[in-house]
Amino acid sequence: MNKNKNVIKLFDRMQNIDRRYIYIVVALSIIIPLLIPFNSRTYVTKPTEDIYKKIDSFAGDETKAILMSFTHDASTMPELFPMEVSVLRHCFERNIKVFTICWLPAAAPLVDYALNTAKEDFDVQSGVDYCNFGYKPYVLRLPIMLGMGDDISKAVETDSQGRKVENLEIMKNIKNYDDMNLVVDFAGSSSAITWITYARARFGANIAAGVTAVMVADNYPYLQTGQLMGIFRGLKGAAEYEKLVDVFAAYESEDYPNGRPFSKEIIKETRVPITGDTVPYKYKKARIGMNAQSIAHIMMIFFILLGNIGYFITRKKEL
Amino acid sequence: MKRQIPLIIIITLGFMFVAHSFIPHKISTDFFDWYQDWVKAVSPFAVSLGIMSLFMVHGTKIKRKISNWQYSVITLAGLVFTAFAGFMWGTQSGTPYMWLFENVQMPMSATMFALLAFYIASAAYKAFRARSAEATVLLIAAIIVMLGQVPLGAMISKWIPESSTWILNVPNLAAKRAIMIGVGLGMTATSLKILLGIERTYLGGGD
Amino acid sequence: MFETISNFVAAFLTLSIFSFLYKDNPFYKFAEALLVGVSMGYAIPLVYENVFMPYVYTPIFLNHKFIIILPALLGMLYMFRFSKNLGWLSRYPIVFGMAIIGMSIPMSLHSSVLVQMRSAMLPIDNINTALIFIGTVTILLYFFFSKAHKGVYGKVTNVGIWFMMIGFGASFGYTVMARVSLLIGRIQFLLGDWLGLIK
Repeated sequence: MNKNKNVIKLFDRMQNIDRRYIYIVVALSIIIPLLIPFNSRTYVTKPTEDIYKKIDSFAGDETKAILMSFTHDASTMPELFPMEVSVLRHCFERNIKVFTICWLPAAAPLVDYALNTAKEDFDVQSGVDYCNFGYKPYVLRLPIMLGMGDDISKAVETDSQGRKVENLEIMKNIKNYDDMNLVVDFAGSSSAITWITYARARFGANIAAGVTAVMVADNYPYLQTGQLMGIFRGLKGAAEYEKLVDVFAAYESEDYPNGRPFSKEIIKETRVPITGDTVPYKYKKARIGMNAQSIAHIMMIFFILLGNIGYFITRKKEL
Repeated sequence: MKRQIPLIIIITLGFMFVAHSFIPHKISTDFFDWYQDWVKAVSPFAVSLGIMSLFMVHGTKIKRKISNWQYSVITLAGLVFTAFAGFMWGTQSGTPYMWLFENVQMPMSATMFALLAFYIASAAYKAFRARSAEATVLLIAAIIVMLGQVPLGAMISKWIPESSTWILNVPNLAAKRAIMIGVGLGMTATSLKILLGIERTYLGGGD
Repeated sequence: MFETISNFVAAFLTLSIFSFLYKDNPFYKFAEALLVGVSMGYAIPLVYENVFMPYVYTPIFLNHKFIIILPALLGMLYMFRFSKNLGWLSRYPIVFGMAIIGMSIPMSLHSSVLVQMRSAMLPIDNINTALIFIGTVTILLYFFFSKAHKGVYGKVTNVGIWFMMIGFGASFGYTVMARVSLLIGRIQFLLGDWLGLIK
């Protein structure tokens, strides 16, 4: 009886534990796995795989390009930035024309940051292999989005360096969404829906979304209808793409000097170690983060279960 | 008249855009080109709203010495100095302006949202209770999805990521689709109300 | 050396924001005030260079497209927004920018309603398509009709509630993931970029 009372007392006390102790546990559950990295398997899922395959289908094609739309600021960078770097790395590895554009003032340096991070390992040139359209105000999003359906150069006018877009070499063979056939919107909001509503519904552009995990569940209806051809799901999506680029686009051998084509069997069998120096830190940041994510989720579930056990025990006492 | 003329403008232009959605005629595309050029020239001035509002709010705080007014001085000084740095030394990488962005704006804005991880953990422990059958279902779905997203989940059992995918693809899809249809109809109705001049709150107060 | 100082400033401000977890304090207040000011100040030169110059200055002064003076004047009317007597003038640029929502009527009806409805009415050939159909219809019934949720109707709408609970559960699971990811990003900065403990 006494033992029971003690247990109830303990749980009672635990129910009212100072929140700052919980904060310490949260911090430690992330700090420890980051300090002691371990190899864990990254399972690649279909929504990420579909984006990879679509982008890869443009490899070496002068008449096709992708557009990366940055609709976020630094607050969601930990989730979205590794996706952006991976997509750029994929494009540079496989010689795919890539455009970038952003709609918030605070996103402009993030585009530069992503481009600079990815391009330092490649011999690529602005205006030839890639082009940053730069910052365009959010109020112009619809007019530009719709205008690009007819003529990209006219809708965007100048790039981030103030050059006339129509004069750039990269624009050869690229006129509208028929050529710039995939738009990947990176956002912490439902911003991809605007692309679906206008660029896809009116011009048939393929749209993919790189979203923070908060927005993932809301986007599933668009994924099922095919309005979204793929989706990066938060940090996990970024980790999956990092692995895909490592395994295929960055692969080098005698048979495949510039990367190899996607294969379901290879991705299933291949494990890319994230400890050691095989892969540079900037290209495995999301996968390292996913280790901490694992531990943090276990901790969170533990909190939920502990809170509920306490709740039921103390409720029983009240009854 | 101060309200009527803006309403006439939005109704006329709005319906021209409705027509533009359906009619790919040259007149329609010329209209869109004209609008593009004009709206681009209007847009840079919108930033003045934010600046003026910030100066008014914090200026009043400083003038009236409202508690913690000193922080308003920091806000305005930060604004003036950053803008000055941009005009004075340029906005390219390596300038004081970009230094401020990379080492002041960016880390702080990222950290603001990182705080929420602590709050959500605390809420999970203190408030996320299986008080009813519905709440229990919510809780179980949340746990499966949480486990299904991380490598550890798949290591525990293959069943976990598969169940998580099923939850997202079936019941979650149905729920979000129904909500989306409602929101879509609501958005259309609101847009129509604006175009028909029924919804006017965006015009602000006064005559 | 310069990078060390820069990282120190970023780390100090990061920790100032985190200090709010202990309790509200002058460091947090200072960081918050600075963030608001710097964010706004940051936008001004950027808008000037990337928007004002190419869309206003260049067409008028370099290309002599003087008609652009009109929308520029229209844009200037924004500045009257906070004026007591002339506030009504700011309505002109606002309605001009908003007019494009005319396109959203057919477009959003198409993508958020019609396409979704079409996909909800696929042939029911397996248990999953049946469940999606049942879930969508019962939730729509729950939200759209003012009939009291009693009797058979109440039981049907109750099915909708269960579907919604699973949907909200999925959203909650992902929300946890998102918040943790953001914290991971900041800790990667503190441990890696600042302290050099992660490589």
